[in-house]
Amino acid sequence: MSGVAHERTVLEADSLSLRFGAIHALRSVSLRVDEGQIHAVIGPNGAGKSSLLNCLSGFYRPQAGSVRFCSKDISGLKPHRRAALGIGRTFQGIQTYSSMTARENILSGFHARMRTGFIGGLCYWGAVRHEEETFTAKAEAIIGFLELEEMRHAVVGDMPYGIRKRVDLGRALALEPKVLIMDEPMAGMSTEEKGDLARFILDIREGLKIPVVLVEHDMEVVMAISDRVTVVDFGEVIASGTPAEVSDNPRVIAAYLGGAKS
Amino acid sequence: MLPTGVQSLKYTQESAVLRTTRSRAWLVVLACALVGYPAVAGPYMLGVFSHMFITLMAVYGLYVTVGMAGQINVAQSAFVGVGAFAAAKLSGYGLPFFIVIPLAALMAGLTSILFALPAARVKGFYLALTTLAAQVVFPIIILALPMEWLGGLVGMPVEPIRFGTLTLGAPIHFYYFTLALAALLTVAAFNLGRSRFGRAMLAVRDNDVVAEVMGVPVFRIKVMSFFVGSLFAGVAGACTAYFLQFVTVSSFTLFASVWYLGMLIVGGAHSPLGAILGVVFITLLQETLHDVANTLMQSGASGGLLFALTSIVLGGCILIALIFEPRGLAHRWAVLRTTFQLWPFPRN
Repeated sequence: MSGVAHERTVLEADSLSLRFGAIHALRSVSLRVDEGQIHAVIGPNGAGKSSLLNCLSGFYRPQAGSVRFCSKDISGLKPHRRAALGIGRTFQGIQTYSSMTARENILSGFHARMRTGFIGGLCYWGAVRHEEETFTAKAEAIIGFLELEEMRHAVVGDMPYGIRKRVDLGRALALEPKVLIMDEPMAGMSTEEKGDLARFILDIREGLKIPVVLVEHDMEVVMAISDRVTVVDFGEVIASGTPAEVSDNPRVIAAYLGGAKS
Repeated sequence: MLPTGVQSLKYTQESAVLRTTRSRAWLVVLACALVGYPAVAGPYMLGVFSHMFITLMAVYGLYVTVGMAGQINVAQSAFVGVGAFAAAKLSGYGLPFFIVIPLAALMAGLTSILFALPAARVKGFYLALTTLAAQVVFPIIILALPMEWLGGLVGMPVEPIRFGTLTLGAPIHFYYFTLALAALLTVAAFNLGRSRFGRAMLAVRDNDVVAEVMGVPVFRIKVMSFFVGSLFAGVAGACTAYFLQFVTVSSFTLFASVWYLGMLIVGGAHSPLGAILGVVFITLLQETLHDVANTLMQSGASGGLLFALTSIVLGGCILIALIFEPRGLAHRWAVLRTTFQLWPFPRN
């Protein structure tokens, strides 16, 4: 699948290899995310899913391979530069800014889009106010989209887990991303919260036209909302295709249930 | 928490520091009280207040570096010193104060970048040690430089401030001068919290790994937090120089740096109000103890014993403040205000 750059391809990882000492976290892993897709990455624990995401957002530098974003090679860029280009990301567990309010969390996501420097911050003149006004309105649009209206001025550290995850998603949307990477968004959520979040993810694809890379353990969710599934095991891609194709693949069944590999 | 009936027509009104007519009225009352204070105070107390305003400027700087960006800085006094020596040197060239003070601030800021570059790569205790190095190196460098440059061990005289024909020398002059500057920096400190740069610093403090992935250049923001914090220190330093009319390295010690940190922590590191409350609380406490000790000394108590006792009482008061309100006086103030506003209903 690598090498064939479609016009619609947004994010593409080409033969990534990542080693930590003797451990091969990734062996020549390729992944292609097209416009309008929800692309799930699944695999057993320790398969290399998070390593793959961290290569995409720039935390890890793979020893071999490249990452392309909108047909531009971004392999050498630091995480904050990639974010500014339009790679949004949500995190495992609670990773919001706990001392800030929901709206401030989302506003902080606009950092790369805003221009005011420290002098403007100290003086707070007219242009700074105007910029704050503009971006607060944008943040409010995200707050409306994620149904966080009641919580906008609440401090995130005091919020329940499910709401914090939604703030995390809102902050990623504030990057005005061209692709959104979500790392286990359903983990630790109740069934209702999972339903809400699945609805938001579908809305992000349909309404905001942002493709989503989704690492997730909840197979029911993955099979229900994904357009494409890539299965990783022991740092290698063992299957890739539609949810139906993948779930029938004997190697995938073997990886999940154990037993002899075919 | 706001009383009912306060509405916002624009988003920026929501982030305004003073939302209600009552809070604005209180500010006017406070301003009038501060402006009118010299009418009732003697020169000694005016000096105490001037010194308090200068301290407040330095602690605002720490609020930026430590409170907002979460970068420990135990060298604030050294950066104040850089500002003071820069002001002394520049005033000697006959430059007016409105050029000297910004340049002194800039000098302090640039010096802090020198130390922030390595410091931004380490965290916690290691960072504390790195900034400690800045504090220790400061007097060594001043003393090692040729006498003609910065006065070496002796120190340097400072040319007084001149407004046209008026030369600032009397305590009342300095009172108004430092009050005006402190007011200006207060506005700046409050502004920072609701700006893009302020949010970036909070993001770095709360979670620097995530901030980087959210488009915040963490390394740059850490270095900038030192720079901006030291701009405040530089202004404080320039004021100190004009105030004392003479600068020596012995005025800018590690002891002072630790006091600045102590004031910020007692007041509450997470808001400029904390800086104000911490500085006022500790300054007034020191002055009260000083007064009591003086009275006792006149009635025949031993000076050495009293000096030790005042230190113990001062330390004890700070301990009590921290035990009962580890999040600072500013937090206690917010809690009290909410309780008062909600009365007779319970908070929560």
